[in-house]
Amino acid sequence: CLSDLIETFRAQLRDDPDVASAVAAIRALLGFLKQDRGETIQGLRNSLRDAIDTLSRVDSSVAVSSGGELFLRFISLTSLEYSDYSKCKEIMIERGEIFLTKVSLSRNKIAKLCHPFIRDGARILTHAYSRVVLRVLEAAVESKKRFSVYVTESQPDEAGQKMAKALRKLNIPVTVILDAAVGYIMEKVDLVLVGAEGVVESGGIINKIGTNQIAVCAKAQNKPFYVVAESFKFVRLFPLNQQDVPDRFKYKADTLKTGQNLTEEHPWIDYTSPSLITLLFTDLGVLTPSAVSDELIKLYL
Amino acid sequence: SGELMDLIRTEGQRMTAAQPSETTVGNMVRRVLKVIREEYGRLHGRSEESDQQESLHKLLTSGGLSEDFRTPYPSLRANVIEAINEMLIELEGTTDNIAMQALEHIHSNEVIMTIGYSRTVEAFLKEAARKRKFQVIVAECAPFCQGHEMAVRLSKEGIETTVMSDAAIFAVMSRVNKVIIGTKTILANGALIAVSGTHTLALAAKHHSTPLIVCAPMFKLSPQFPNEEDSFHKFVSPQEVLPFTEGEILAKINVHCPVFDYVPPELITLFISNIGGNAPSYIYRLMSELYHPDDYEL
Repeated sequence: CLSDLIETFRAQLRDDPDVASAVAAIRALLGFLKQDRGETIQGLRNSLRDAIDTLSRVDSSVAVSSGGELFLRFISLTSLEYSDYSKCKEIMIERGEIFLTKVSLSRNKIAKLCHPFIRDGARILTHAYSRVVLRVLEAAVESKKRFSVYVTESQPDEAGQKMAKALRKLNIPVTVILDAAVGYIMEKVDLVLVGAEGVVESGGIINKIGTNQIAVCAKAQNKPFYVVAESFKFVRLFPLNQQDVPDRFKYKADTLKTGQNLTEEHPWIDYTSPSLITLLFTDLGVLTPSAVSDELIKLYL
Repeated sequence: SGELMDLIRTEGQRMTAAQPSETTVGNMVRRVLKVIREEYGRLHGRSEESDQQESLHKLLTSGGLSEDFRTPYPSLRANVIEAINEMLIELEGTTDNIAMQALEHIHSNEVIMTIGYSRTVEAFLKEAARKRKFQVIVAECAPFCQGHEMAVRLSKEGIETTVMSDAAIFAVMSRVNKVIIGTKTILANGALIAVSGTHTLALAAKHHSTPLIVCAPMFKLSPQFPNEEDSFHKFVSPQEVLPFTEGEILAKINVHCPVFDYVPPELITLFISNIGGNAPSYIYRLMSELYHPDDYEL
């Protein structure tokens, strides 16, 4: 049954490369919920925890973890309202479907909120490959704005090249720059726009390695640093520095499994503190970093 | 009540289009819309604590579509009118509310700096002057020099006042204990749109680590973000900067006279409004209490 889960998850990512990994995780978990033969909420929660662990062993990103946490919270909240288990399960499945429809609209909502902030003639710097940023820039093009984009190459997987290719398809003038060239290019840039893999409680973000550097350079030169992220990426972490980000997020799942000495490995993500971020664009609205913790409290406490 | 809200919204759009720099018009329209939503919700039987805002919590627990406002309730009109009257009473009392907080913030023998003319700041300082002795330095705020009028009014109350030119702001800042200013608009991220010259004042205050206090009533809080840098600018006749008598030069140069300045939220220490003192990072919360997110775009 758990192997079915992994198969569903992988199949979704294969069939639709545009889907966010957290959404794929939640959809797979919903399918798992439908097939569950248990009779109690407690049993359900335990089997869901196992399922989430399995998924994070396949894909160790922060997004999958936050999606799983959210789903578990969703189960707890729904189960508080109905004491009859079978009725509860029906409602859960129904609400789960509604939730999935809503989050599929979230990228469009964000694009609508964010594109007015891109002026005509703006020069934007972005980092690695983010589908949300792509959608925002698409919306800006649709509203007839002219702008140019600098993308960092984003080693070690050259995600920036992928982003550049996608942007060229939209007829946006793109320049790929070295990760090391961010400080050099910052004076030419009007604003920085990045996605996020996770948004932490303090209002900071966890994103592809290199984001923190860009944020520090942007602050030093007084350029606005905007983050676009869907609300299901909000995660219950409060890192105070880079060390505090758990190792299970920093490295890929395969690397963690081999169990070798992690000090030799290069981390894939870093943490950007909220003081460096100007605004966060989410499907819950435009938020200042201090508003993020409010949102998380409303959900989890 | 859906029709009522549409009517109000159309009127609101017309009014804001007529004078975009007067954001309070739009703010009031949004407040009224929120009042209507609340009253409707109360009659519809929703609990008072239920959150109107989007939130993760709501995303997970809601069962269906957002409510439509079609059910007619005869008592809705009376409730809305009563709520609006309450709002009017609150609006009339804002200056006094703010002035009442003056004694907590101004102490004896302090040097306070301000810029231009603001009725709220005038009331604030006058109230403090009744019990404390302090000095005020007013930056004249060229080219309209409203600072002069402020200085005249303050000195009539017996407050020791000095007027100086805007260029001297930085020079004098080291002797100032507090900077207290008014503003035209407060934006959603905690930034200000205030008279031209305020940004200079704020930067000088930050450099000397002098607290910058903004006295403004809540109706000035506008749910807009400073997205386009030039969107809020209002320019008036450059006659004030370079009079038409200097005919020869005028052909060769461009003269601008912007009325407003943008002050980023990092430079501001405290907002004093009719509901108390707040930090700029808390503004988003006050906004969610005053306006409904669907109304941010009128």
